[in-house]
Amino acid sequence: MPTHAKEADPALRVKVLESILTEKGLIDPKALDALVDTFEHKIGPRNGARVVAKAWVDPAYRQRLLTDGTAAIKELGYSGLQGEDMVVLENTDEVHNMVVCTLCSCYPWPTLGLPPVWYKSAPYRARVVADPRGVLAEFGVTIPETTEVRVWDTTAELRYLVLPKRPEGTDGLSEEQLAALVTRDSMIGVGVLAAAA
Amino acid sequence: MLLTPEIVPGLVAAGASARVAASVAPRFRVGDRVIVRNLNPTTHTRLPRYVRGRFGVIEKDYGVFAFPDTHAHGLGEKPQHCYSVRFTARELWGPAAPERDTLLADLFDDYMDPA
Repeated sequence: MPTHAKEADPALRVKVLESILTEKGLIDPKALDALVDTFEHKIGPRNGARVVAKAWVDPAYRQRLLTDGTAAIKELGYSGLQGEDMVVLENTDEVHNMVVCTLCSCYPWPTLGLPPVWYKSAPYRARVVADPRGVLAEFGVTIPETTEVRVWDTTAELRYLVLPKRPEGTDGLSEEQLAALVTRDSMIGVGVLAAAA
Repeated sequence: MLLTPEIVPGLVAAGASARVAASVAPRFRVGDRVIVRNLNPTTHTRLPRYVRGRFGVIEKDYGVFAFPDTHAHGLGEKPQHCYSVRFTARELWGPAAPERDTLLADLFDDYMDPA
């Protein structure tokens, strides 16, 4: 096995790991298929979008969500692996929250699915803590200087979901229509939602 | 235990919280000023390097969790409080950083001293 600069092909390494775990009697390969299927097809950012839309239309739910994120998210049926201890951060005119995991790639799976590649990349993780406004600009987002940019580094066991600001001009929309407007990036805090046309 | 397809849905739905149901006194209260210890272990830690030696304020006490630095090495859970700790951008990055901006990191009792 290569030990330094040249890592083996990731697909090959995964295959080798799977073989070893199977030979040792720790996994049935079909369990891995079930896991991949779950996170490719059943769990993703549409879950988080439903949480956000409900918080926009239901003030009591919004309050529960901000007080006990884990329990309020579970009300909609989203819970479990990498969402055991959830904290919801509300974006307002005063505060813009954004989330990173500088140490690895911690991310709220039940509400957002698996993290995008850039979220796991060293440049995002290193730069967003030191220059969040510069990173936001690269995502096409400008936050006024009068607004506090608050970066949350997911260093321990909590997982963070941003509750983005409801776009202007959406008063007449249903909860379902609102959910369709919510982007993954807005729930990480690297995106904001444009006003409805 | 063998991981089979049958147990995957339950496993995904339940997860595995690192919370520990132990009664452990917190070393800090919300509002306390702290200094992060300048620890540089060669073993596992969840203490980011850029906050070491910096001053912060306890924003929230999240409760008692297993301590990753020992738990990851099979050296016991060493249950302790984990806090949201607030740093100003200027404390971390100097006077050129925007005055209002802040950063919050989740830090364990063993990572900090009163300041």
